[in-house]
Amino acid sequence: MVENIGAYIKNMVNANNISVLLVDDEKDFRQTIAKRLKKRGISAEQAGTGEECLAILAEKSADVVVLDVKMPGMGGIETLHKIKEKYLKTEIILLTGHAATSDGVEGIKLGAFDYLTKPIELEHLVGKIKQAFNKIQHEEEKVKDSEFRANMEQQMIATERLASLGTLSAGVAHEINNPLAIINESAGWMRLVLKREEMSDIPSRQDLEMALGKIEKGVDRARRITHQMLETVRTNDSVSAEVNISELVDEALELVGKQIKDNDIEIIRKFDTSLNIWSDPYQLRQVLINLLTNAIHAVGTGGKITIILETTDTELTLTIRDSGQGIPKENLEKIFEPFFSTKNPGEGTGLGLFVTRNIIDKLGGKIYVKSQVGHGTEFSIKLKEKIYHD
Amino acid sequence: MIKIPTKIMLVDDEKDFVEMLSLRLKEVGEKVTPAHSGQECLEKLENNNIDVVILDIKMPGMDGIETLKEIKKRFPLVEVIMLTGHGATETAVEGMKTGAFDYLLKPADFTDLSAKLEAARKRKEDQEERIRTAESKLLLRKVGGF
Repeated sequence: MVENIGAYIKNMVNANNISVLLVDDEKDFRQTIAKRLKKRGISAEQAGTGEECLAILAEKSADVVVLDVKMPGMGGIETLHKIKEKYLKTEIILLTGHAATSDGVEGIKLGAFDYLTKPIELEHLVGKIKQAFNKIQHEEEKVKDSEFRANMEQQMIATERLASLGTLSAGVAHEINNPLAIINESAGWMRLVLKREEMSDIPSRQDLEMALGKIEKGVDRARRITHQMLETVRTNDSVSAEVNISELVDEALELVGKQIKDNDIEIIRKFDTSLNIWSDPYQLRQVLINLLTNAIHAVGTGGKITIILETTDTELTLTIRDSGQGIPKENLEKIFEPFFSTKNPGEGTGLGLFVTRNIIDKLGGKIYVKSQVGHGTEFSIKLKEKIYHD
Repeated sequence: MIKIPTKIMLVDDEKDFVEMLSLRLKEVGEKVTPAHSGQECLEKLENNNIDVVILDIKMPGMDGIETLKEIKKRFPLVEVIMLTGHGATETAVEGMKTGAFDYLLKPADFTDLSAKLEAARKRKEDQEERIRTAESKLLLRKVGGF
């Protein structure tokens, strides 16, 4: 009973939003019905012929079409056909003559919602219109629901894929680190041998040193990749501590300070408050360093980076905005994928944002990106934490 | 300046790694004893005077953490630097809680390694110095007691 009342109220409320098109060749009948519908909160457009009905629908869609079957010119059934062809979501209520229930049955077979026999009771019509509208809403919800499910499933598949990819890459990284260490020590030892006195004037010394330099740089590059790959699967060693966001930002800025200074970058801070949260300071600092490093690369010399902290009682948003070249739309979806990078080989590992997102996921937060080519990019981290204001 | 050599034991099942890092450390004046397993490390500690053990965490048989515990039990003054090829820094942290001096990720930066070796040796020296002072005090008191 309670449910029925609820549904009744819902119908009452919704009645205003239903767009109805009334199609009948009898003008007086049409106008009377329209007037009486209006009193019940339903405003209806009117059409005198099937052709006119289609013309109106082409301009503005309707939820429910109330359609007379017997009309000169294009008949009701033909009009029904045409409406159903073009406007799948529109529901149709047929109005049939007194003795012509067969028309109504045929109409339902063709996709009409229902039929009413003339002379009609207005209450019946209003009821039918609302039922038809409910059906539309129901269908819409079903579509939304299935879209939502498909989306969720896709996300789950992606998460699983990334998880197994993480485990695999950690394994690979570990196996690579050992031979890498051997190369590293060998190259290092060769350098030391070259420094021996007896080696002071061997021929082609510069060539050897140059080649050693390349080996060392190569090792360094591979090491950065493997260490970052290992970062992605570090799960168990997270700590929880009281973190002062402002201090954390200071720390991160200090760690990238040289790059900021070298490139003459302006840092602007907009913090609405000083606050402490409970989170993992090391992981959060890593996130900040990754985002700041990207911002530094994006803005180049003389650029501007803005760091914004906004809070509500339960959520904080930390935004890092750069005045760089922006990210083209086609790349925006890919930037969180592992090994996606637009930087030159050796400059970026393509893992920074991947790691960043993994960390934020682990901390139970969300990361958002907004970018406009030519204007800059903005990464926002949202963390649901109990906020402790100073 | 004359460098005081650190007496190092390098423990890793990767023989090439042990060989090359040993050469490198010797070249800069350290004394290095190689070992390729936890077992070998413990055996060699019996007969060699070692300041610092560089210990790989992941080894077949007796792993780094087990070896570390055994070292700390039997040779409490020997300092240990953990070496890990794995991002499993939690293991390294566990190691430090068990008494390791510090840890390094493979491939390690030689400057980092040198700095940590030096600091570990210093800690051992200081500790030995404190023990000597305490011992001599004890001795004096005993003598005074006569």
